[in-house]
Amino acid sequence: MRLPLAIASLVVLIVHGVVFRNQFFHEWERHQTAYIEQARSMSKNDHERAELEARAPRIEQIIVTSFGDTHVDRCTTCHLAADDPRFGGHAEPLKSHPYSAAMGDVQRNGQWERRHKFSDFGCTVCHDGQGRGLDTFYSHGQDEFWPDPLTGYVTQPNWRKDFSPKLKGKEYMEANCAQCHTEEAFAGTPHVERGRKLFYAMNCYGCHKIDGMSEGTLGPDLTEAGKKFKVDYLWESIVEPRANLATSFMPDFHLQPADVESLVIFLKSRRGVNFAETSLDRYKAHVANVAVVIPPGTAGEKAGEQLLGDRACTACHKLGDKDGGIAPDLSYEGLIRDEQWVGDHFVNPRSRVPDSIMPAFRFPAEDFQRLTAYLESLKTPPPPVDAHATFVNLCARCHGEKGDGAGKVAWYIDPSPRDFTKPGFMASKPRARFVASIQEGVGGTSMPPWKRILKDEQIDGVLDYVMQTFAKEQFKELKTRNIPEKNPVASNPESIARGEQVFELRCNGCHGRKADGKGPNSLDIFPHPRNFRNHWFVESVPDRRLFESIEYGVQGTAMPSWMDMLNTNEVGDVINFIRSLQSGRK
Amino acid sequence: MTPTQEPPTQKSGTALATLRELPQNVWNSIFRNPLPSTDLERSSTSFTNFFLHIHPVKVNKNTLRPTYTMGLGLIATFLFVILVVTGVLLMFYYVPSTTQAYDRMLDLRGTVAFGIFLRNMHRWSAHGMVAIVFLHMCRVYFTGAYKRPREFNWVLGVLLLLVTLFLSFTGYLLPWDQLAFWAITVGTSIAGYAPLVGKQMQFVLLGDTTVGQEALLRFYVLHVAVLPAVLVLMMAIHFWRIRKDGGLSRPEVAAAPAPDAGVVKLKKVYGLQGFVRGPFTKLGNVPDNSVYSWPNLLMAELFVFVLTISLILVVSLLFNAPLEQPVNIMHPPNPAKAPWYFLGLQEMVSYSAFWGGIGIPGLMVAMLFAVPYIDRTTHGVGKWFAKERLLANTIFLTLVILNVIFIAIGTFFRGPNWTLVSPF
Repeated sequence: MRLPLAIASLVVLIVHGVVFRNQFFHEWERHQTAYIEQARSMSKNDHERAELEARAPRIEQIIVTSFGDTHVDRCTTCHLAADDPRFGGHAEPLKSHPYSAAMGDVQRNGQWERRHKFSDFGCTVCHDGQGRGLDTFYSHGQDEFWPDPLTGYVTQPNWRKDFSPKLKGKEYMEANCAQCHTEEAFAGTPHVERGRKLFYAMNCYGCHKIDGMSEGTLGPDLTEAGKKFKVDYLWESIVEPRANLATSFMPDFHLQPADVESLVIFLKSRRGVNFAETSLDRYKAHVANVAVVIPPGTAGEKAGEQLLGDRACTACHKLGDKDGGIAPDLSYEGLIRDEQWVGDHFVNPRSRVPDSIMPAFRFPAEDFQRLTAYLESLKTPPPPVDAHATFVNLCARCHGEKGDGAGKVAWYIDPSPRDFTKPGFMASKPRARFVASIQEGVGGTSMPPWKRILKDEQIDGVLDYVMQTFAKEQFKELKTRNIPEKNPVASNPESIARGEQVFELRCNGCHGRKADGKGPNSLDIFPHPRNFRNHWFVESVPDRRLFESIEYGVQGTAMPSWMDMLNTNEVGDVINFIRSLQSGRK
Repeated sequence: MTPTQEPPTQKSGTALATLRELPQNVWNSIFRNPLPSTDLERSSTSFTNFFLHIHPVKVNKNTLRPTYTMGLGLIATFLFVILVVTGVLLMFYYVPSTTQAYDRMLDLRGTVAFGIFLRNMHRWSAHGMVAIVFLHMCRVYFTGAYKRPREFNWVLGVLLLLVTLFLSFTGYLLPWDQLAFWAITVGTSIAGYAPLVGKQMQFVLLGDTTVGQEALLRFYVLHVAVLPAVLVLMMAIHFWRIRKDGGLSRPEVAAAPAPDAGVVKLKKVYGLQGFVRGPFTKLGNVPDNSVYSWPNLLMAELFVFVLTISLILVVSLLFNAPLEQPVNIMHPPNPAKAPWYFLGLQEMVSYSAFWGGIGIPGLMVAMLFAVPYIDRTTHGVGKWFAKERLLANTIFLTLVILNVIFIAIGTFFRGPNWTLVSPF
């Protein structure tokens, strides 16, 4: 027992020794000793030499009170020569901070004078890092958890190896300059300015909010992006939007590294309220921005085509050989939608496709007109090819190459594209309905009318192809279903109220309390339940089809048959209720 | 320096002599006994010293067998002492505020002297204490030590285990990093599955519907004030009951006392155990297999203490306490895992929320409480895995192994979306 006791005691002693050694023997003492020695030998002044001689190593600190919360910068404990011009040629850490006229430093009588005095500014206001740290690893912010490592100098070990070298460079410090120098086009912050322009030019503002600059609501609010995120995260989010959030629908904009860098620097400068403004200034900018419809930098656009390129529409849409892989194909827009439709859709996409995710961009009205004119000029149909090729060219982008409704843009489209592989659905609907859907499109959805692009025999061919390749079951003549052509229940307030009661009882779970198709069960159901607030769709559907869907269910979807639960009058009430939702809306 | 046995009684007379005797007098006033060399002095030392009087004057030899107790209860106690000391030091730096807590963690890493080391010690001791308290319970069970007259001390022990778990759980939130936030989110959601009071309990615990500032403050107060006070009180009763229940459990000895060098003759005048009433201290009726606490028990305790602290020190030097990114409510880690000792629960919750989170654990705790009142037999005490207790031990061992398996699955074999993954 004595031997292990002795060993254990020894271990305790050794660990104490190691820990205390780490705590009390500092690297910075060596740097200070070196500085004192060298400065003494350089000194030509007896008084200074005596002062240096008497000096023992000690922690140096600057207490910074003027920039945000009071903080302590102990950087000069190692970087003791930062303000000593004699050490200009030395190696770090004993190197004097360079003087630069661009930074506002001035030379008087051969002596440089700093514009940004260290005694006022400290170090971390510009450079970041952990000001109170006395250990290189921690004070330079190399610790992966430190929010702001030395900007432009230090990359943290867990950052992505493929681009972390690009996260070095003095230009990143501009994000800190911009905390005080907030004016646009300030000469010292060209990257911030470029990033700001890109934020508008690349349509970032359409989805993202930055207080005082934009009001987008689709993407995360970036007002405090610079405070919340490190440059590594910002860079990754721009070049690989889905790296952090698998469900993100932010497009990859395929930016050049220089543009990404500028955007990152610009975003890093967004920290909510900065040093130069008060929260009242911020509020005023917010109010002013809401009133301004025209974003800056819109002048100079010539034609719609040019505009379409500048506005990065193909970041989401397909046009010719450019394909963002998120939104519908615009290549034949002139044959698909009329001017009225395109114009309305630009002003508010949800006025035509109620569940669209496209942002309502705040372009000037004349830009919308130019864009509309350009899109309406796209009237060249694709050359006729066989049914398979037609399907691949025109249908597969939404309905999927396997016809399973999982094309590459299907994820972003609501209502979801039809899954042709569900025989229950495909075999229970008459051919005429499919033909009509292809020819005329489906109202209020992304399914466009194809009648001006495809000739009738082409449509027949594609339909045959779909039926044979995917559905694999021919249409079965249905037993005559007892379905009234017209709703037998007259629409009046009593009927609508009864219908609403039935709807609340039976339909809420999937179709939602607002009848917008977003009930609690809707997320797990594909295709999603119908949105009855989609008046374009509801008005395009006759009573007969609503009756059939409710009474007999919709095979191949989650909609069950209600024949045993609801009598004809109740179904009629529900239909009256659904129809009543559309009135009062355009 | 050997203090004299009897303080000088003759009058000293001069001021000089008073001065000369001052250190000796001060010493003698604090330590009434000299370093003991006789049995009487050994008894007296244990009996009169505040810190030692928690010990009996004499202990049974069985108590000192390392293979019997493995010192687990002592280790748990010493870990608690380490936790209190390091915890109080950490309190000087910590601020229970959602905006500052994480910054304080970074300060501990980068700028506070001994900061990382203190945090490491606190963290690893906390994990260690949970594990050791559990092992201690297993030891007590497998040696049948919960049996009459120690039923209530077993109940106290189960309560101590629960308080230890809750202490560790409340401490888990304090760094306010992703690990903490989501572990507590998961842990308190499990509490929310309790019938009737679940949601209310969760709300009282969090002070909100989600983990936030109120939860942080509540967990902090529970962690640094309420629970330690409760734990100390219950530990005191736990220790006191050990004495009152006749010392640690040991096998009954029926054979005649073997003549032994250390055995004290009967009819002694200073057998203080005689005052202690209880079924296990029948002085004179059983072979007196006891030895003096000083130095036997004290040396054993010192040994366990030095071993414990040296292990914690080495671990703290080698491994840094985990820290993750600051709380980001928008980015739950996938999977979000509870602290390891609750991962068995989380694993069971993944099959059934009520049964996994409340039903089965509730039943298990109830069974633990009930064990000494159900198993009323008195045989098989004081022996590891006694043959007479085959059924009881098998049931308990099965449950322990099941629990360990569930914790292992939850810890190592669960990946994103709680799907099975291989850790290799």
